[in-house]
Amino acid sequence: MVLDTAVYCSRLTAAVNVISKRNFKAHWVAPTLRELQRRKVIEEDRGGGPKIFHRSTFLEWNYDAEIFAFSNRLGEKFNDSSLRAALTHKSYIERETARLSDIGVESNLQFQDNEALAQKGGEIMSKFINGYLRAVFTQVPEELIRAMHDFLTSNPTLETVAKHIGLGDLMLCADFPCKTETYVKSFKAVVAALAESSGEERARIFVQDLVITQLYGQDVNELWNPVDPIGNLTAILKREGKAEPEFRLIRQAGSNSILAVYYVGVYSDKNFISEGAGESLEVAKEMAAREALKKFFHTEDSMRALPFGRQLKNIQSKIAQLENQPNVPLSEWISPKIMSAVH
Amino acid sequence: MSNSHLFLPSGFIRTPLQNGLGRYIPQLQRITIKFCKSHGGSRGVRDFIESDLMEFAKTNPGTVVYLKPRRHRSPCMVAEYLNGEREYLSCHEFSRDEVYKWLSYMCTRSGIPVMRFRKYQHTDYPTIQGVWNPFTHQAPEINVAEFPHEVLSKPINHGPTATEQLIEIFKKTQLEDPANKPPN
Repeated sequence: MVLDTAVYCSRLTAAVNVISKRNFKAHWVAPTLRELQRRKVIEEDRGGGPKIFHRSTFLEWNYDAEIFAFSNRLGEKFNDSSLRAALTHKSYIERETARLSDIGVESNLQFQDNEALAQKGGEIMSKFINGYLRAVFTQVPEELIRAMHDFLTSNPTLETVAKHIGLGDLMLCADFPCKTETYVKSFKAVVAALAESSGEERARIFVQDLVITQLYGQDVNELWNPVDPIGNLTAILKREGKAEPEFRLIRQAGSNSILAVYYVGVYSDKNFISEGAGESLEVAKEMAAREALKKFFHTEDSMRALPFGRQLKNIQSKIAQLENQPNVPLSEWISPKIMSAVH
Repeated sequence: MSNSHLFLPSGFIRTPLQNGLGRYIPQLQRITIKFCKSHGGSRGVRDFIESDLMEFAKTNPGTVVYLKPRRHRSPCMVAEYLNGEREYLSCHEFSRDEVYKWLSYMCTRSGIPVMRFRKYQHTDYPTIQGVWNPFTHQAPEINVAEFPHEVLSKPINHGPTATEQLIEIFKKTQLEDPANKPPN
C-alpha cells in the first residue's frame, strides 16, 4: 500500500533509547559532529521540532502482518473484512478517491468505512460497562454508575487505551498526527468488529479487560458526590423509617489555631453510623454525612477490590442480566436489607 | 551507599494500561533486524535468522518481525513498543545465542525506559483501615473527662508481664518444696 509521504510527516518529538556500548571515536571526529548537530538544531527550530513520519512510510512495513499481529496480541480472532473496515475512516476514503480522480484514474475502491461500526461499538461498550458497574456496585445509586460510565467512555480514557494497543499505526485516516476523535472512533469500531467476529461474550470480556481496568486506581467518590449529603442522608433515613440523623462532636483539637480539627459523628436513634473530620464544624458535619452515604453505598476507602480477569468468570451471567436494569436513583435509594424485608 | 551519583532515573514500578490486570498484552509491537548479507560482523545474526527466527516468530505472534538486509553496515535491532518507545541495540559481532538472548530480553520489556526501582511493589491503595491519627484507638471517655481523673491520670495498668508471671509460678513451687522435705 503506497501512502503519500508528504502528508504523513509532521513535526513532533521522537526519542530512541540506545542500549549503549563502549565506543571509541577519534578526537578529530568531534568538530564534524558538532557542526552537524548545530545545523540539525537550526533546521528543527525552523521547522518546529524534529520531523516525524507515519510508520507506514518506512520501507519495512507490511499492513497484513501488522493486522495479524494486532489480533494475536489481544488474543482475539477477527473477521478480516470487519477489522479492516473498523480501521478505515471516511476521511481516508475521501482523500484517496480525490487523489485518484485528480490523476484521472476511475476510482472503484471497495473500501468500507467505520461509521456504522463505531456507532454500534459505542452502544455495546456502554452496555457492557453499565452491566459490570451495576453487578459490582450493587448498592450504589444510578447517578454514581452514570458518572463512572462517563469517565470510562470519555475521550481521554478511550484514546489512551486505543494508543496503547497499537491502533495509531494501523488506522487509515487523513489526519496525522491522528486526532482524539479518530482514535476513539477506531476503538469503538474495533469493539463492534470483535462482537461481529467472535460473538458478544468475547466482546464483553474485551471491554472488561481493556476499558474497565482503567477504573483501577481511581477514587470513585471523586468522580461523583451528592450535592447535599446531609439532606440526602436525612431523606434516606426517613425512607427507611429510622430516626433523624443526629450530629455530635466526638473529638476536637487545636480549636483556636489554624490547624483545628473537629471529628463529628452521625447517630440515628443513638446508633453510631459514621464519623467525619474537618477543619471547621460545618465541614466536619458534611464529611460525616458523606462517610455515612459511602457506608450505605459500600464505596468507603476500605471497600472490596474491583474484580477483573478470571475473578469475573462467575458473575458474567449476572453482568449480562444487569445491563438493562438501572440501579435505584438517589431520590429513591433505600438500604437493600430494608427493601427485602418490605417485599 | 546512595544512588545520587547514578545518572539512571529512578521511579516506582509501573505498567502501561494496567497490563495484566485484565489480560496480558505483550508490549513488543515490532522488531526490525538489520544486517549485512556478507560481512563477518553479521554472522551471528545471519545464523540466528536461519535457525531460531521462525520459532521466535511462531511463539510471539503478536510481534511483527521485519528483516532488513543492508550492505556494508553493522547489524542492529530496533524494537518498537506499544507505548511508542523505541530501543536500539547494535548486534555487531554477536553470536547466535547472544542475539537470541537480547531478542528475548526485548520481548519481556514494556516500553518504559530502564530505571532504578525504588521499591519492587506499588499500590494505589496504601491503606485499608485508614492512616493512624492521634485519635485512633482513644477511648471516647476522654471527651467528657475532667482532669485530673481517677483512672485516666494514672499510668495504664497492663497487668503482670509474662516474666513476672513466670517468677510468681517459680516462687510458688519453691515455697511448696521445703514444706514437703522430710526433716533431717
